[in-house]
Amino acid sequence: MTELNDTLRVPREPPKVRNFVKPFWDATRAGKLMLQYDRKAARYQFYPRVAGIGSGSRDLEWREASGKGQIFTYTVARRAREPFRGHEPFLIAMVTLDEGVNIMANIVNCPLEAMKIGMRVKLTWAPMSDGSRLFMFEPER
Amino acid sequence: MALHDSAIVAFAETKIVEKSDRDVWELGAEVLESLLAKTGIAKAEIDGLVMSSSMTGASNPFWSQSTADQLALELDFCQIVDLGGCSATAALARACMAIETGCANIVLCLYADCQSSDNNRRERGGQDWTGLVGYLGPPAAFGLLSKRYEHQFGLDYAMLGKLAVAQRGHAVLNDNACEKLRKPITVEDYLSSRMVADPIRLLDCVMVCDGATGLLVMSKREAEKRGFTKCVVPIGYGERTNYRAGETIVDITETGHLPAGKRAFAQAGLAPRDIASFHPYDDFIIAIMLQLEMLGFCKQGEGCAFIKAHDFTHTGDLPLNTGGGQISAGQAGLAGGSYNLVEAVRQLFGEGGKRQVKNTKNALVTGIGGIPYGRNWTSSVVMILTPNG
Repeated sequence: MTELNDTLRVPREPPKVRNFVKPFWDATRAGKLMLQYDRKAARYQFYPRVAGIGSGSRDLEWREASGKGQIFTYTVARRAREPFRGHEPFLIAMVTLDEGVNIMANIVNCPLEAMKIGMRVKLTWAPMSDGSRLFMFEPER
Repeated sequence: MALHDSAIVAFAETKIVEKSDRDVWELGAEVLESLLAKTGIAKAEIDGLVMSSSMTGASNPFWSQSTADQLALELDFCQIVDLGGCSATAALARACMAIETGCANIVLCLYADCQSSDNNRRERGGQDWTGLVGYLGPPAAFGLLSKRYEHQFGLDYAMLGKLAVAQRGHAVLNDNACEKLRKPITVEDYLSSRMVADPIRLLDCVMVCDGATGLLVMSKREAEKRGFTKCVVPIGYGERTNYRAGETIVDITETGHLPAGKRAFAQAGLAPRDIASFHPYDDFIIAIMLQLEMLGFCKQGEGCAFIKAHDFTHTGDLPLNTGGGQISAGQAGLAGGSYNLVEAVRQLFGEGGKRQVKNTKNALVTGIGGIPYGRNWTSSVVMILTPNG
């Protein structure tokens, strides 16, 4: 089995939070993954935008996601910049959440041999220094 | 008035160098001087400047003006095109528009970037969401794209290697290619090169360099009046920024080259089978294959079979990036795409030297610009050129 780095020891800087994504990062402190819901188009979207990508409407609301989904695609990062340098190899994937959006995240607790497109995954969190948390995913098992 | 009423009367390019000690404006001046010498046109006659954006100039919000000032150009039309790797070809299209609408008579398209020695990039955008996961930018994006392609259609990596080998062979024949890259490679070398972001290997990637190119463009009528017997004319152009932008989950193996290509071919009145040489933007080898599919050289998912059946060397049935492409000649930052374009123009002028293609009826050039969150690329352009006169 090829063990991959879970990147939990990477000293990530908390993200620069633009005012319109503040509710997203605030909710991570309570372990909630929030998605924007475009009421006019009746669908979710990610990453958070200033308007609905389908409708152009600003009538967006934050709704909590189930945190469940499946691997859409992935790559193994063998080379990385700071602060990830030296922590390679690790997994980066696009996960299709059950709400119908793709979200990019590290996949942890998953040896390379187990990784495959279509695999079911569930949400997990990595703490960050400011008390907010970073969403990650791991095999559902 | 139409795109094909404009003519490229001259091209110029500098050697591509990794971490050169030259200023980006010195490279620009070298290009301008060469164009003036080739054409006998006086600097004062140039009244339009259209530039690609540049990583070196990225911190300067007055980049085209500063460059015009440095080169002492007095202009009636001056702009920068910031479509990433599409900028060069899109700038040429805009130069034609400026000429066709009477805004300018003689336009300098200038593409110069010293990204490897003087990178001033700072960005506001989707990387808010990618930096946190250790995403290395383009290699990770193309790793994600390649894995998805493989899942949907299967992927014979030896066929990608065949493209890499053909381009490298062309770089060996190109004195302007980055010297470090002018060594032949084999498919085995490609396959065994180290992984960067699975399944993207080192020999899938570009090496960032410094370099500059340029074109002089005027109306066909003006070119005839001035006695330019050789020129190159754009006969079809398509451009798309964002593909299926309003959808949440898209097939990332389908790209904006699909609509851009349809438009370019329709304008040119040609089909893929008519294309004499192919100069696609090559930031990663798989991008070449995806463009073959999207432009209709073959069906989606059949790129590997198409590659197997064709010869992409300069003497083959579909010569590919005969200057080596950016992967084998070096990527001159955001001027990188201009080397694909200028090589196509060079071939149609019949100045390909050791790598001259036989069939110079036309050439197809593309651009790829920007890497959006979780998709393939932001902008796609396609241009078909033909010699005239």
